[in-house]
Amino acid sequence: MNTEQCVNVRVTHRFSAAPERVFDAWLDPEKAGKWLFATPSGQMVRVEIDARVGGSFAFVDRRDGEDIEHTGEYLEIDRPRRLVFTFAVPKFSPERTRVTIEIVRLGAGCELTLTHEGVLPDYASRTEAGWTGLLDGLASTLS
Amino acid sequence: MALADPTRRAILQRLSKGEARITELAQPFAISLNSVSKHIRMLERARLVRRRRAGREHLLSINPKPLDEAVAWIDVQRAVWTARLDALDAMLQAEDRSASITPKKKGRSR
Repeated sequence: MNTEQCVNVRVTHRFSAAPERVFDAWLDPEKAGKWLFATPSGQMVRVEIDARVGGSFAFVDRRDGEDIEHTGEYLEIDRPRRLVFTFAVPKFSPERTRVTIEIVRLGAGCELTLTHEGVLPDYASRTEAGWTGLLDGLASTLS
Repeated sequence: MALADPTRRAILQRLSKGEARITELAQPFAISLNSVSKHIRMLERARLVRRRRAGREHLLSINPKPLDEAVAWIDVQRAVWTARLDALDAMLQAEDRSASITPKKKGRSR
């Protein structure tokens, strides 16, 4: 994947919690399973995290009786400032995208900037029908 | 990727104003007609540009659907991550609240 040619999504969020707590919430299976790839109507049935560089993770969220798996690999772990991982949702697409988390201390809390790269599939390699399916799949994660 | 190149973006911008012949599209650029043709073929493969024949000419037009879908897709992605970070925030705040109301027992170490 050539990330320079892909569109990035960037989101920032301020937390009143300290950087360490916010950082740890991504890698602690008990905490991460409550929010990271969870959905309000789904049930997180499995969370496996091997929190080291090169380690992998798997989150399985059961939605309408269907198991949606999110798998990925950690590329950088620099507590509490930086976390980089790739992930894919095999059910919807084999493509791996990259997420970078940067946390900056802000008073007693922190500001987190999340950059999701590779979110725009290469037009030439994807049919419009497949793309719409991906869109529906992701939109359903909000419901 | 089709949109990554400034020449291709400029071509799309021109086509968003209406149909054009390849020679018309090539005019503003200091590159050969051949190079412009390559850009256009790439846009066609990406289904962003359509071609029709009018007599001996080829007329190119923009197909807005993939771009609209791209924008919608990015919006959904952004909303998904915003929702997740909101959920993280809510979880941390709930932890704070339960920590503050749990009475501390004397003489107990964790």
